Amino acid sequence: MSSWIARMLARLRSLGRGVTRRTEFEREMREEFRAHIDMRTDHLVRQGVPRPEARRRAHLEFGHEEAHRESARRARGLAWLDHLRFSWIDVRLGLRMLVKHPGLTLVAAFALAVGIPVGLAPTHLADAIERPLPEDPANRVRAVRFWDPVMAHTALPTTADLEFWSAELSGVSAVGGFRTLSVQIDAEGQAAAVPAAVVTASAFEILRRPALLGRTLGAADEAAGAPAVAVLGYDLWSARFGADPGIVGRTVRVAGEPHTVVGVMPDGFRFPMAQQLWLPHRDDVLPGTAESPMGVFVRLADGVGPDAAQSEITRVGRAPLPDPSEVRNRLQPEIVPFGMFTIGVPRGGLEAVEGFAFFRILALVLLMVAAGNVAMLIFARTAVRFRELAVRTALGAGRIRIVSQIFVETLVLAVLAAGLGVVAVDRILGALDFGLLAGGADLPYWLDLGLTPRSAMRALGLAIVAATVAGVIPALRLTGRDIQGTLKQAGGGGSNVRFGRVTAGLIVADVALSVTVVSIAFALARGMNDRLVARDLAGIPAEEYLALELRMPVTGMAGEEGSDRALFAQRLATTQRTVVDRLLDEPGVRSVAVADALPRMEHTARPVQVEGDESRRDGVWVRTARVDVDFFRALDAPVLQGRGFDAADVEGVVSSAVVNTVLAQRFFGESDPLGRRIRVVDRGGSTGSQWLEVVGVVGHLGTNMVSPNGGPALYLPAAPGTIHPLQLGIHVAGPPSEAASRLRALVAETAPDAVIGAPVELVRVRQGDWYLAMGVAGGMALLVLVLVTLASSGIHAIVSFAISERTREIGIRGALGAPRADLVLSILRRSLIQIGLGALLGAPLATYITLQLGVGTGAGAALGTVLATIGLAVAVVSAVGVGSCLVPTRRILKIQASQALRAEG
Amino acid sequence: MPESADILPGTLDLLVLKAVSLGDVHGYGVLLRIQEISEGALQIQQGALYPALYRLQHDGLIESEWGRSDNNRRAKFYRLTRAGARRLGVEREKWERLSVAMSTVLAATPQEA
Repeated sequence: MSSWIARMLARLRSLGRGVTRRTEFEREMREEFRAHIDMRTDHLVRQGVPRPEARRRAHLEFGHEEAHRESARRARGLAWLDHLRFSWIDVRLGLRMLVKHPGLTLVAAFALAVGIPVGLAPTHLADAIERPLPEDPANRVRAVRFWDPVMAHTALPTTADLEFWSAELSGVSAVGGFRTLSVQIDAEGQAAAVPAAVVTASAFEILRRPALLGRTLGAADEAAGAPAVAVLGYDLWSARFGADPGIVGRTVRVAGEPHTVVGVMPDGFRFPMAQQLWLPHRDDVLPGTAESPMGVFVRLADGVGPDAAQSEITRVGRAPLPDPSEVRNRLQPEIVPFGMFTIGVPRGGLEAVEGFAFFRILALVLLMVAAGNVAMLIFARTAVRFRELAVRTALGAGRIRIVSQIFVETLVLAVLAAGLGVVAVDRILGALDFGLLAGGADLPYWLDLGLTPRSAMRALGLAIVAATVAGVIPALRLTGRDIQGTLKQAGGGGSNVRFGRVTAGLIVADVALSVTVVSIAFALARGMNDRLVARDLAGIPAEEYLALELRMPVTGMAGEEGSDRALFAQRLATTQRTVVDRLLDEPGVRSVAVADALPRMEHTARPVQVEGDESRRDGVWVRTARVDVDFFRALDAPVLQGRGFDAADVEGVVSSAVVNTVLAQRFFGESDPLGRRIRVVDRGGSTGSQWLEVVGVVGHLGTNMVSPNGGPALYLPAAPGTIHPLQLGIHVAGPPSEAASRLRALVAETAPDAVIGAPVELVRVRQGDWYLAMGVAGGMALLVLVLVTLASSGIHAIVSFAISERTREIGIRGALGAPRADLVLSILRRSLIQIGLGALLGAPLATYITLQLGVGTGAGAALGTVLATIGLAVAVVSAVGVGSCLVPTRRILKIQASQALRAEG
Repeated sequence: MPESADILPGTLDLLVLKAVSLGDVHGYGVLLRIQEISEGALQIQQGALYPALYRLQHDGLIESEWGRSDNNRRAKFYRLTRAGARRLGVEREKWERLSVAMSTVLAATPQEA
């Protein structure tokens, strides 16, 4: 046994050397043969044979060199490798096949061009989140955040934590902090809101990004009483200051206060997210307490890895606060890639998110479905070339050779498709304005979803996997048969190749899936259409409302007394009251609703508990809005039970809430919701863990774009000065678009300090959920297109193949008087059965999913509506399926007996 | 010089192993050594020697190294490995048993049958 193992190991070593040093092996073999012939020649010369004759004899005695070389390669186990080696001839043949079968090429390339990026997407996204900052290729800059293990969510550290870690951590060379804000900047007589960041002096030291002009912020700028300074971003400098090279030293008004510009950062620098202005971290710049949330980041010390740094911070823990909340006590500090500082994924990245593996497998399954379908098409194409393969076999090509040829042909297709797909997705991602899609916010400057060399290599890997499934499996099936026997039959016509159950199963599955997806897409599309009708969208006539966002920039600059949060709230409250009163005085304005989210806008989801309900201790996710006490009156939304809010509700600690009918039904069933107590699970919000008494019930007002009527909603009263930014819902007498600019100007004039957003008709508000729904619908449309194309091309390929196989039989039967309809039916029967079976299987699946999702049909959708949608989907998919049989059917009808016999005889 | 004979199928590897076991030798030397020892009785087609050498090396029974021949030509020298020596012993025993059996059978007379 041991000698057998030793021999196997020796063979593996030898094979490994042969493969890795193939050129050297061939060169040495040639040299060895030449040395042999030279020695033999010398030997003969020494025996008295003249050299030319000796050389000739030496060659003759040695025999056919190439034959010996071939035997030697076989002896070294390299012969099979030669069969597998890709040759350019195979690649050229593959390219020729692409041109020769353009229909198949288009369909298969389309399927793989969609399938490969889909298979690639989860890993690409996971990589993008963990990528280092652009200025930190060595990946030494990390964010520090808290992880709440109970809520499986992240939380920001505080100013106290920043100071604590600066003093305690030794595995990092510096600790930096930032807070983001929106400030008003005056330039060239024009005011504009600018995304800004207050940063510690260490921030620039950590980032190591020098200024383009002037300098970055330093420790001296942080000192109390130091001159007010600011660093500008490249975009801000270009857009607002005309890229003035003499900007350094000039004074600009930031939030109403004069600041000296000390530097301009280079293009592309927008730390930490999309900021354009940096101010020193000082209490007189942005007031805060030890508990103010703060973004914290570090540079790992030389020689310290992220794991060692994590171990240290786990040991060191949080800053000790005098009276920490229950939530704070369970927070765990984590050192993570910078991109993860706010994204609520665990430290392990997306890979560690529960369910991510499922998505990755799902994406690969989708790719395999596409590859399986392409395999069916390759099978059909190869079956037509069966005789060519049989001849090649007869000429000495082994099975491995033929399989590898078909594999290379498919690989050419897959690599081209992968390239097209990945480049197309890259271009689309590059062209999309994600900022606009995300509701106007700029994306983080470090988030780059573009193609990376790593993703390109992965795409190539997936192309190889897809080509293996789509090329090798059909090739093995075809070459597994008795090729020689078939060659003998070939003269008599017919390849003896039949499509198996797998092929039939694939078509049935394609049709079933198409029906399901088309149904969902139809339902979703109808649902989206319904939502464009304003009255359905929310319980208010949204088309009569104008939405306006109002932000108060941070002020309280140097010298202002008592600059703190309370002062800010006071100013905000005054502004809110003044603006609302001024608007109500304006002719044509009926009412003004104030909230942090108006109906149809995306409401914040928060976990809510019911008192005494132990089964929902972690809370149920509910959409919430903080609203002014006049909110329901201003919206003309009737209070169905109990009362709305009044001024007493916002005096002192908030202890009342209004719920919508969906929440009342879900939480309290038939019992009276009034007087019951609920609370938002503590996340540090202003309502905290305070129990709230339900004082009223309202109807559906809409809590987001996608399911405006469906979700439970909770309304919390908020005093003026506690909602920021303010969303104003202005009910106007005429069309809101006509009043838009006038009202905006009025608000801007009334609150000159405020930053006013662009006015939008409430009916046109589109937020994240809407884009998500449109993305899903678009993705489904693409999926439908892929599935329907694959199914119909599969049917087309199989029917065409059946006809080419049975041309002779059809011709003779036609000549003998068989009705044409019978002939057509005999050929199409199998395909028609497959389409019917697919539709039958897809319909119940589609019904179940459509009803479960409740998409598009709204609450209480009738089963009849759902069935009508699905009937439509079945009709569409079946029509496409039957349509794909039509072209081959015409060919059947054209077959003449004499022609058929001549062709096949 | 005895009349030359074709070698029996399957015996080439044994002959090569034996030739190499007598001392490090290049391919042409293996050929000469077999011819000399068999006094020209065993003729090997020259090129066919190499697949046998490569097969034995592939199985780890011999190993090779480039060196200089007596005529100062660069040549690849083969050497028996320990596995090769063991195999040579086993194969030689097999051959001797076969040879005795063959001789016994061929020497049989009608009375013994």
